[in-house]
Amino acid sequence: MAAPLELSCWGGGWGLPSVHSESLVVMAYAKFSGAPLKVNVIDNTWRGSRGDVPILTTEDNIVSQPAKILNFLRKQKYNADYELSAKQGADTLAYIALLEEKLLPAVLHTFWVESDNYFTVTKPWFASQIPFPLSLILPGRMSRGALNRILLTRGQPPLYHLREVEAQIYRDAKECLNLLSNRLGTSQFFFGNTPSTLDAYVFGFLAPLYKVRFPKIQLQEHLKQLSNLCRFCDDILSSYFRISLGAFSCVNRYQQQIDFGEVHSHDSTTRKLIASEWRHLSSWTRYGRCKSAETHTTCK
Amino acid sequence: MIIIRILHEQAFLQMCNLPIKVVCRANAEYMSPSGKVPFIHVGNQVVSELGPIVQFVKAKGHSLSDGLDEVQKAEMKAYMELVNNMLLTAELYLQWCDEATVGEITHARYGSPYPWPLNHILAYQKQWEVKRKMKAIGWGKKTLDQVLEDVDQCCQALSQRLGTQLYFFNKQPTELDALVFGHLYTILTTQLTNDELSEKVKNYSNLLAFCRRIEQHYFEDRGKGRLS
Repeated sequence: MAAPLELSCWGGGWGLPSVHSESLVVMAYAKFSGAPLKVNVIDNTWRGSRGDVPILTTEDNIVSQPAKILNFLRKQKYNADYELSAKQGADTLAYIALLEEKLLPAVLHTFWVESDNYFTVTKPWFASQIPFPLSLILPGRMSRGALNRILLTRGQPPLYHLREVEAQIYRDAKECLNLLSNRLGTSQFFFGNTPSTLDAYVFGFLAPLYKVRFPKIQLQEHLKQLSNLCRFCDDILSSYFRISLGAFSCVNRYQQQIDFGEVHSHDSTTRKLIASEWRHLSSWTRYGRCKSAETHTTCK
Repeated sequence: MIIIRILHEQAFLQMCNLPIKVVCRANAEYMSPSGKVPFIHVGNQVVSELGPIVQFVKAKGHSLSDGLDEVQKAEMKAYMELVNNMLLTAELYLQWCDEATVGEITHARYGSPYPWPLNHILAYQKQWEVKRKMKAIGWGKKTLDQVLEDVDQCCQALSQRLGTQLYFFNKQPTELDALVFGHLYTILTTQLTNDELSEKVKNYSNLLAFCRRIEQHYFEDRGKGRLS
């Protein structure tokens, strides 16, 4: 009898089982390989760690980082790459490197660095998932980590301004999306008719970009033009996660801010109050005093 | 790092059958637009780093990857990123994060053009920068064994992709061949405190043969090969 496998990860929204790319990669791989995972979504209790999520826990092991978790699952005989040839296995490694080098910086920027997106969507969402006062600290730390990673890996001379780095990383990301689309073509998955590790990674990176509603959406617009990649994400969602595509749709962006607490809340009024207080604070810094006064009144 | 980069670009330019003249200058880093060496100086234009050099040469009508279809171009770019992601990072790790190598070789070599105490200060500063980068990309907590395992995985992927072919795509070399040659040749010929890195590469006979073939074909006029 296999030891129970528990996965701690960030929760879902906008029709996705998780909005966090790395968590989504692991969840998708588990579905593809048939690994029986018990998913523990991060919530507002103090149980479990949030820093290095996703984390896989078994009786004897704690494994973090998607690559290591997938390796561990393979060793436990949950192998989604069983039917791949050696060359296809090599191609998998290469395409994952392409995703991490060319697409990831722009995804991180879209979620964590682009101010409109971060203050109106990402920060409130992540803050609403965790207890106070961690909700004041962790999103900021994740944002700084993302900016750090972008600047340290891509911000080298002659790109001295963040704006130029941004331009370059979005150019690279669009090129990467085009390459993926060319590679996928009209196939259902990247290698044949069954999904593998590469499909899990591509889904994990693309699905949040595809589904989360952001104010600044240049990369999302580009992705939506690549219909085979969108079809790829929708197929996996409907086949493996059985989430209907109409779920969690929000009326408009402002309404969406209010919806966060309600879509993902438990019955804690305290939690809603904290979340609303946080939105109030975010609005204050982002939009200025007039708007915050309005929000304050509405939330109370 | 300088040695690796010279080989990529030089191999690429020689594969394009472009006549080049290699010149050594002490202030090369300051002449380069990006601060990185080597760079090419053509007429009144200066271009550095492999990516921009490839684009520049392509704009002039020379390209090694014109014969590839879209799927193959995607594959080529993916494998180039794999090499950058794994091999380049592993080389940086070994140079700057492995205490034995840092103490015996890297510090002395990096600081050698400068007088005391600048040689120590600059070397420590560079080490700090590299460690920051490693931490940002998740390599901060890796041990040497894990890094060597990653290198092995990368070499295995390259070896499987190369198979029994002469070059990675068809019978003609591409930018990927230049890049892989640059890295593998340097790993095989640079003396470090331990030989584990080069041993990992030597396990793959088709990669060794590939490096020898390119060295003989494109660099034979530079004297006898170092891979024999």
